[in-house]
Amino acid sequence: MLNILVAMLPAAVMAYTTFGMSAVRVMVLSMATAVLTELACDYFMDRKSDIHDFNAFIVGLGFAFLLPASAPWWLVVTGSASSIVLGKMMFGPLGGSPFCAPLVGWAICRISWPAFMDIDASMLGTDLTYPLAQLKNFGLDAIQITDTKMLFLGKQLGGLGAVQIAGVLLGGMFLVMRKHISSIIPVGVLAGVCIMAGLFNMMDPTTYATPGFHLLTGSTMFGAFFLATDGPSSPNRQIPMLLFGLLAGALIVIIRTYGIYPDGVPFAILLANLFTPALERMRPKPFGVR
Amino acid sequence: MNIQTIQNPTQVEMTLTRHCPLVTCGQDVKRGERIATSNAPDKGDIHAPFPGKVAHVDPYRIRIDVKEGETIEPLSFNRIHGNELQNHLRELGADLPTCEPVDTLIINAVDAEQGIVTRRDLLANCHDTLEIGAKALVEAYNPASTTIAMLKDSSKKLDGLSVTIISEQYPAGLDPLVIKAVTDSEVPENTIVIGLETVFHVGRIMETGLPIMETMVTVEDKGRIVPLGTPVGEIINETGEIIHDRDRIILGGPMRGTAAASPGQGVDRTTCAIAVVSNPAPVAKDTACVGCGECVRHCPARLDPAMITSYSEFGMYDKAAAEHVDICFECGLCGFFCIARRPMLQYIRLAKSELAQAAALSGEEN
Repeated sequence: MLNILVAMLPAAVMAYTTFGMSAVRVMVLSMATAVLTELACDYFMDRKSDIHDFNAFIVGLGFAFLLPASAPWWLVVTGSASSIVLGKMMFGPLGGSPFCAPLVGWAICRISWPAFMDIDASMLGTDLTYPLAQLKNFGLDAIQITDTKMLFLGKQLGGLGAVQIAGVLLGGMFLVMRKHISSIIPVGVLAGVCIMAGLFNMMDPTTYATPGFHLLTGSTMFGAFFLATDGPSSPNRQIPMLLFGLLAGALIVIIRTYGIYPDGVPFAILLANLFTPALERMRPKPFGVR
Repeated sequence: MNIQTIQNPTQVEMTLTRHCPLVTCGQDVKRGERIATSNAPDKGDIHAPFPGKVAHVDPYRIRIDVKEGETIEPLSFNRIHGNELQNHLRELGADLPTCEPVDTLIINAVDAEQGIVTRRDLLANCHDTLEIGAKALVEAYNPASTTIAMLKDSSKKLDGLSVTIISEQYPAGLDPLVIKAVTDSEVPENTIVIGLETVFHVGRIMETGLPIMETMVTVEDKGRIVPLGTPVGEIINETGEIIHDRDRIILGGPMRGTAAASPGQGVDRTTCAIAVVSNPAPVAKDTACVGCGECVRHCPARLDPAMITSYSEFGMYDKAAAEHVDICFECGLCGFFCIARRPMLQYIRLAKSELAQAAALSGEEN
């Protein structure tokens, strides 16, 4: 678990250099809330605390990564606490949750307080722009950041840590190298995004963005390496894992194209989580069973 | 041939697995006398490896205080073959599977696990006995073809047997995977696989006409022939290693081995290695499954160890049976890869033994 936290560190540092102390404030507040909430749950549920496995830190930081740096304190606290309570503790010890925990908190906040979760509206004070909202509201021509390198280095708006593409990619690679996560799901998600975005782009290159744009904006990378790979909420076998990744990737582009949300990643992964039990039914016959 | 280096013990302990004890406390036994009969068709009976007096009998073990005494009369095996020979061998303690007719007989000469050299040393040092044992098995089963499965660099082979080379990578040397390598089918009909140590046991029976009284175990990277029933603690002491409090004596290899109940537990016919593990931290912990799926992706039997062990953990053995727990060949890879360090193999063995017990109680054939 410590490995995942280490893997999130580069993106957290980049978030600090891009958004300054306001990003640090959100991350620290979210992690502290997550840890305290888990301790409180353990106390009320009369359970031995597993706080030392760092999972609460990961859930807290993962939730913070999806928020705008301007998020008010009560939003961070509510979201982080509901991530832990509804996303993790409800389902017993670590490993029981059918959903990726940070996304549960994100979804609650996004639906309850859309104005505060709207990244574009709440970050008027910066020079950076939110390419996904520009694509959604004004079309492909309105996107101001066209330099891939700028997108890659996180000079864009979005979830404060999730858009630090370089840092997220570095951390993701670290997790894959350490064999902490299997590469199948990230490859599936990225391939799903590429295939779906490529199809749309082929249909009409003047209306639909390129696969590269979808890969480098919003939470695609963060979702692929950190959220979709969450163990209990994703399938276990190779082929279901690949299908799960492709499904999540395709849903990301479909929600970004037709949905009302600029960044489809959290909802796409939550929807894919719902398919996990169905995908799990795809299994080979055990050894020697005819 | 390796000469046994173990001093004759003063007390031996025979471990019973579904055997019925035939002796009572205080009774004098001769060397080679039958002291327990087997309840399972594929397990041999148990005999006293030393003459002496029975000191303790319970459903799990018989202890004998070793004394001076006589040996039983050797049997002659002239002109018997087929099923009769099989039954004779089982009565003298050979663990022979039941199957009729036998098309393919496979002799597994691969030490499946790292650090175990029993079968390698048997092949190198006890070649003559193995030849006799293999010949007797061919006579007993009358198979259409007989194959020996061995590693690429094995020193010797047995006469008249075709050879299949098995990969050195764990778990390729386990019986079900050896069957697959030889026959190209996962559950071929009329195929049996017999471990090389059993061939050695049969060879000893044929040579001496007496029941099995010794086996080969790996101790400190070397195969040694030790009398059955020798307390494992004494074998360890013989090597000069000192057993401390909280150390564990492991019977078998690092992946599949089990801990001895006490230093007094005796070597039995299935013991292939003895080693001491002194590790203050527990290898496995009582934790919940975190759902990472590593075990599922590594299971060579394509099972779902995560679900099986969770069912076993909560006593839902019928659900574990529905997940095909019986197919598991206990390679231990699930526990090796478990990031939560759950005692995976132990949960699986618990489910299997509970199911076997339930089946025995309800009067079904196992």
